[in-house]
Amino acid sequence: MSGAQENTIEIYPKTQYLTASELVAQRHPEVESPRNGLKRTSFEGSAEENEELKNTYANLRLQLSARRIERQAGRAIAIWSDDQQAAEVVRKDGKFESFGYSQQGKLYLEYYEALFLLELNRLQLEYCGLIVSIEQAYVLLLGEEASEKYNNYFVYSALTRAGYIVVRHQEGYRTASSDVVTKDDCIWALLDASLSNKPVPLHIKVSQFYNATFERMVQLKQQIKNQCSEASTDEISINNEPNAFKFDTRKRRAQSEPEEELASKRASTTGRSLIDALKDEASYRKFQQTFEKLDIVRLQSEDYHCDVDSTIRTFKITFDLHLHNDGFRRSAPKTPTFSVIILQHDEPFPTHIEMLHCQRQQMRAEERAPLLVISVSESKHIQAFLYYIS
Amino acid sequence: MEFTPHFKRKRGNCKDFIKLAPFPPNSNGLRYQGVFNGLCVEVFNTEQNLIKTLHDNGCYGKGSNSRGGPISGESDESLLLGLEEACVLAYYLNILEIKDTSNKEIAWQAYVQAALEYDKEFVYKLAAYLYLKSKNWIIKSGIKFGGDFLIYKEGPRQFHASFLVLVHTSDVINHPHYVSKNLKGAQRVAETSDKDVLILRVNEQKDFDPALATPAALESLTIDETVIRRFNYTSFVQIKQK
Repeated sequence: MSGAQENTIEIYPKTQYLTASELVAQRHPEVESPRNGLKRTSFEGSAEENEELKNTYANLRLQLSARRIERQAGRAIAIWSDDQQAAEVVRKDGKFESFGYSQQGKLYLEYYEALFLLELNRLQLEYCGLIVSIEQAYVLLLGEEASEKYNNYFVYSALTRAGYIVVRHQEGYRTASSDVVTKDDCIWALLDASLSNKPVPLHIKVSQFYNATFERMVQLKQQIKNQCSEASTDEISINNEPNAFKFDTRKRRAQSEPEEELASKRASTTGRSLIDALKDEASYRKFQQTFEKLDIVRLQSEDYHCDVDSTIRTFKITFDLHLHNDGFRRSAPKTPTFSVIILQHDEPFPTHIEMLHCQRQQMRAEERAPLLVISVSESKHIQAFLYYIS
Repeated sequence: MEFTPHFKRKRGNCKDFIKLAPFPPNSNGLRYQGVFNGLCVEVFNTEQNLIKTLHDNGCYGKGSNSRGGPISGESDESLLLGLEEACVLAYYLNILEIKDTSNKEIAWQAYVQAALEYDKEFVYKLAAYLYLKSKNWIIKSGIKFGGDFLIYKEGPRQFHASFLVLVHTSDVINHPHYVSKNLKGAQRVAETSDKDVLILRVNEQKDFDPALATPAALESLTIDETVIRRFNYTSFVQIKQK
């Protein structure tokens, strides 16, 4: 037995292996950028400042070049194609439901999708037979020249992380609409619109029942809000009998004289004031004559032509947003929850007419999604804005 | 997506429940007397017409010695009316008579001229004022929030303002209201008390003459409304996924 021990050969591996505890410790290193004082906005050029900058850069470099440990097995493989300007997926790994697009039986990733997956360590990108590093990928995918691509990627990444399915904007969605629109369809569409923020589809808006239904709903809402309202209670109780529930369209028509003229115009997204709410107050009815006397300047009716003159900028819709639990399918996307316009940091916000113009670009689409304006500031801070226009 | 304005009630005392009218009464036929001093129209108490009544019914003007209405109780306190509200009270509602410092009545056109000297955009702001007033809003100056008007339901004592209103004309290209830091700034300020930023663009015909011939000449102007709200995309998706 003792002889066997003498014959023991010690093997020293050429590569060093980490112990389990070292592996775990280096798997998720906590790195925090140092913060020192207030944010400064201008460069002074003093020696002190230069020294400080040098240290900061060195520190940053140190942090970035620290060893990181990631799993290699969970990666999909894609090859960047210069012709397509997209990455072709050659080996899938994990779920790819909301990424990429198919063309001739192949799955391609857009540049922002590829970069996003790369940063999450879900993708190994190859180019000319070599594996691309993250640093190289930035240049390869976003280009060497400054362009909107970086902001697009940035917005894509932020929205995807927030929990949206972000896809390139597509025009024209198919809707499972029957040809005949009934009152019921109008009611459901309106309920959908107010409960789940879905826009009312165009084919319902042009229906003959739509305006009457809409007004009836506004009226009912009002009655519910001020429960004390006069004779209306009887009306409700009659109408509320099961099966006898129907919208009394004729009656409404008599009550709302000027509104009716706008009926055809209302078929579009605009033509209605956003601030008419106080006309339902008792004080308005009491002084109606005086208020009407002051009603000199009117709302711009929306049938004016957006003269395409040079002062109107055109905004490009970049992405469409879908929600995960809405049953999104890449092959047959439904109307998105939002469409996204990205504003560069020095770009002024779109005006009323530019927004209208942008909506009309989508005219061919049967349904329009609300537009979300996302502004990317100089410090790459992103903020979303919703427009409501008359 | 349907738009609903915010109405945020102030924690008020019970005496505010007395219902006041949106317009001052003009039953005795005697008009208020105001003096146009170049900046505003100043109205003094008279035996028949109390400036408190003028302020309380529709919240017009600001007390010269008070933060809001003329409540200081000092005898020399006057009510200072903004150019737009004075104009509406005088030439559209006929409740007020505007005189110059030498006690001569100022006619419509002379008033518009004088106001234009003070504010180049007076006519457009007047149009916006009329537009909002005809929709039953109480309108106060928006200067403390960096805009043109603040509009209230019922009045500043009952409600927080629902909107910070910015007025602009269509002929200005790249209007400063739309510059991203200005708009974001206005929004941040307005958001502190649940207001929305409402941009009213006043559209004019090519032959529109800002030296208006009659008060009714404003009818050739039209307005379109834009409300831009900050949207929290993170909480939206979280609520939807519950």
